[in-house]
Amino acid sequence: MNNAYLPFSSTVTEIIRHTDIEYTFRMSFDGKVKPGQFFEVSIPRYGEAPISVSGIKKGTVDLTIRKVGKVTDQIFENYEGSTLLMRGPYGNGFEIRNYRGKELFVIAGGTGLSPVKGIVDYFADHPEEAVSTTLIAGFKSPKDILFREDFLKWEKRLQVIKTVDAAPEDYKGLTGMVTKNIPDLPVMDRSNTAFITVGPPVMIRFTIQEIVKLSIPEKNIWISHERKMCCGLGKCGHCKMDSTYVCLDGPVFNYAEGKYLID
Amino acid sequence: MGYLISRKAADQLFEKLSESHDIFAPKCFPGEGCFSDTDIIRYGQVRSLAEIEFEHRSDYSFKEALLAIHETLFYFTEDTTSVPACMDRRLLIFLRSCDLHALKRLDAIYLHNGPEDFYYKRLREKADFVLMGCEKTCDTGFCASMGTNRADQYDLYLKLNQNTVLIDCPSKSLRALINTSDAGVCEVTPDYVTENEEKVTLPENLSVESFDHPVWEAYGSRCIGCGRCNFVCPTCACFTMQDIIYQDNARVGERRRVWASCQVDGYTDIAGGGSFRKKQSERMRFKVMHKIYDFEKRFGYPMCVGCGRCDAVCPEYISYANLINELAKEEQP
Amino acid sequence: MGLDINTKKAKKNAYRISKVRGESAARIRVPGGCLKAGILGMVQEIAEKYGNGTVHLTTRQGFEIEGIRLEDIDAINEMLQPIIELLDINQTDPGTGYPASGTRNVSACIGNNVCPFANYNTAEFAKKVEKAVFPNDLHFKIAFTGCPNDCAKVRMHDFGIIGMTMPQYDPSRCVACQACIKGCRSLSVNALRLENYKVVRDTEKCIGCGVCVTKCPTRAFTRSPKKYYKLTLMGRTGKKNPRLGEDFLIWTDEDSIVKIILNTYRFVKEYIDPNAPGGKEHIGYIIDRTGFAEYKKWALEGVELLPETQIRECVYWSGIHFD
Repeated sequence: MNNAYLPFSSTVTEIIRHTDIEYTFRMSFDGKVKPGQFFEVSIPRYGEAPISVSGIKKGTVDLTIRKVGKVTDQIFENYEGSTLLMRGPYGNGFEIRNYRGKELFVIAGGTGLSPVKGIVDYFADHPEEAVSTTLIAGFKSPKDILFREDFLKWEKRLQVIKTVDAAPEDYKGLTGMVTKNIPDLPVMDRSNTAFITVGPPVMIRFTIQEIVKLSIPEKNIWISHERKMCCGLGKCGHCKMDSTYVCLDGPVFNYAEGKYLID
Repeated sequence: MGYLISRKAADQLFEKLSESHDIFAPKCFPGEGCFSDTDIIRYGQVRSLAEIEFEHRSDYSFKEALLAIHETLFYFTEDTTSVPACMDRRLLIFLRSCDLHALKRLDAIYLHNGPEDFYYKRLREKADFVLMGCEKTCDTGFCASMGTNRADQYDLYLKLNQNTVLIDCPSKSLRALINTSDAGVCEVTPDYVTENEEKVTLPENLSVESFDHPVWEAYGSRCIGCGRCNFVCPTCACFTMQDIIYQDNARVGERRRVWASCQVDGYTDIAGGGSFRKKQSERMRFKVMHKIYDFEKRFGYPMCVGCGRCDAVCPEYISYANLINELAKEEQP
Repeated sequence: MGLDINTKKAKKNAYRISKVRGESAARIRVPGGCLKAGILGMVQEIAEKYGNGTVHLTTRQGFEIEGIRLEDIDAINEMLQPIIELLDINQTDPGTGYPASGTRNVSACIGNNVCPFANYNTAEFAKKVEKAVFPNDLHFKIAFTGCPNDCAKVRMHDFGIIGMTMPQYDPSRCVACQACIKGCRSLSVNALRLENYKVVRDTEKCIGCGVCVTKCPTRAFTRSPKKYYKLTLMGRTGKKNPRLGEDFLIWTDEDSIVKIILNTYRFVKEYIDPNAPGGKEHIGYIIDRTGFAEYKKWALEGVELLPETQIRECVYWSGIHFD
């Protein structure tokens, strides 16, 4: 009998430092995995933390980890040349086919960019597969910006709006909330759009309000829910919303159904 | 087809069963109640029929016999993990009809919702179930309302009379243990109640709209978030994982799971400080809707089996049964 | 005609001499403050037949029937007999009322008959002590309280008995919900902490109040089968030096308490000031005179303390000094 609780060991092959508290750990992994899925990453004796897949390459997955708790603190202390234990991938993830041939708009806040980064990467590598791809990414301040190198690539191939909530006076980039940029999005055919929004619950709420104002059909909006995850296996109950287990049926939801999910 | 055997023969049967099974049943723990000089009835290993509490419903359900309050998933050493061995004997669990229906709910979560749970399954496969009949209704139970007052998925049924014991034994393997030489053969139908004092009507038109019902605030504002209702519930199945380090050797530790309660602080806390249901009224709504609405949407039958333990244990006298009836009342024209 | 009454005898017979000439108040002891309701009717009958129809509920949980004519004492003693018997008060001659009054009614909070916090049946223990000490006429005040909340204000008594329980913790039933820890922090002495998701009890700090047990939703914390008590000594009110009783024994048992109280009667008989007004001297003042070491020697004679009992070798009192 398969014991799904037993983690496997994975080697840290590379570390990309974005900020003082946000690193991407490139982990060896050979199995099937999709953007938006997550792994339970653990440091034995400290616990597990659900971490979204922020990039997929042959033989590796990227896990962008924010140092915000007991487990992630330990990961940051002890990663040096080491291995991490992982279980997964869990969750449904994003399906590329839902976004092909569409005007794609990805709106992400902070580490919310991680789960959706695989999609952005995909359409940056295959821009011809979408009518257009626009990324609006918001961060708290200039020093919180993630995936700086990836932005350089994306900015060449996609429409990118990178904004920070607040910045010092000499900051040259955009400032303001991501939501501010939604009304002016160059939507051509509303029925052929796909919006993906990922970020803190409050950001998702206001972003959707703005998207709906553009008369975008709800079924064209996808969200990814971050919830307390524990087992990842539909057992522990922490992530349940209504009859939905976010770890099994999510975290990616089409808004037409997802809007009925209330905590 | 059942048997009528002497009490002595039943005690011998118990002995026989003990050879192959660890036997768990409700029993009285004197003085272990919440308040001084009060008792508690909960599950524990029993060594004789006399030790089993047949008269009253247990305060805590059978679930801890299958789903330990605290279970080690595996031990960590330097680089290895090792899974604790499963008991090699079989398990025999005495339980009432409501709890046998609850077993189906636990199975739904642990065997059919996502991948099978390794730990639950290995114990579940070793378990046989003995039905205890209900001659009369318990105080707060509403099994008749929930249709859980009768159960037929048992391996053995025992009814203790003064000097005799009635047995029904659908399980072939257990039947082999019954000494039928002196046994009278008769028709045995398990005792069950057809009506409870507590009657519950399930609302039929619950939906997302129900989330705004004033009943949540009315009841939730009285709740102290202790989680007793979850811990006594035979169908509440939530747990939380914990990693610990052994104090005398920080390189060794274990990962375990312990029961969790959706009413207690911390249930929805995520790393970095967010949490999703801060108010008790929201937690109350979450629990009740799970029991009578969204579980059914997923699995086709309500989660609640109407055992009434949550109402009996609530220190704030919150009646979950009454809350449901309030919801149903609104629907009447 | 002038009344000819032996007031010393009347006082010992539990009658208070009133400020109203010719009147007294009949005092009824109710050990543990617990009585069958029927007794209330008997008290009423006396009050209406011989008193002025008014009954005072005393601070020590007895009754005082007001406006009794001193010449009616014998008749009232007859009427008191069923009350004395129902409350199982030790008596020397039936029909003669209470044989002593110096040792005051043994009082108690409502205890675990009703109160969720109480760690024992206070009334039962109070009655047991009453049986052991009465009719002793020395001025002793003894009170029982179910838990360290001390609703019975036992620290204002010569002997205060505070209920304790030794929390029994089964880590395998603990889900780390922290109800006990929060309860101990907010309602008691903050003796619990979470370590490795399990609760650690600071045994030095723990006062055995039982809050952890009442708060625990899974029965991980339960009460010890054995009941424990804290014995506090020599609290008092009064004109000279009112003060709170101090801890003497912690985690002690019933037998030790009963023996210590009985030993104290012997001690007082030995050391009481022979010129004390009305033969009445607070024990505490006697101990102040003899020194605590001498008292302790008497008090513990023949007492076998439990191994777990903590004893204060020296006890110092403070309080307010007016003398």
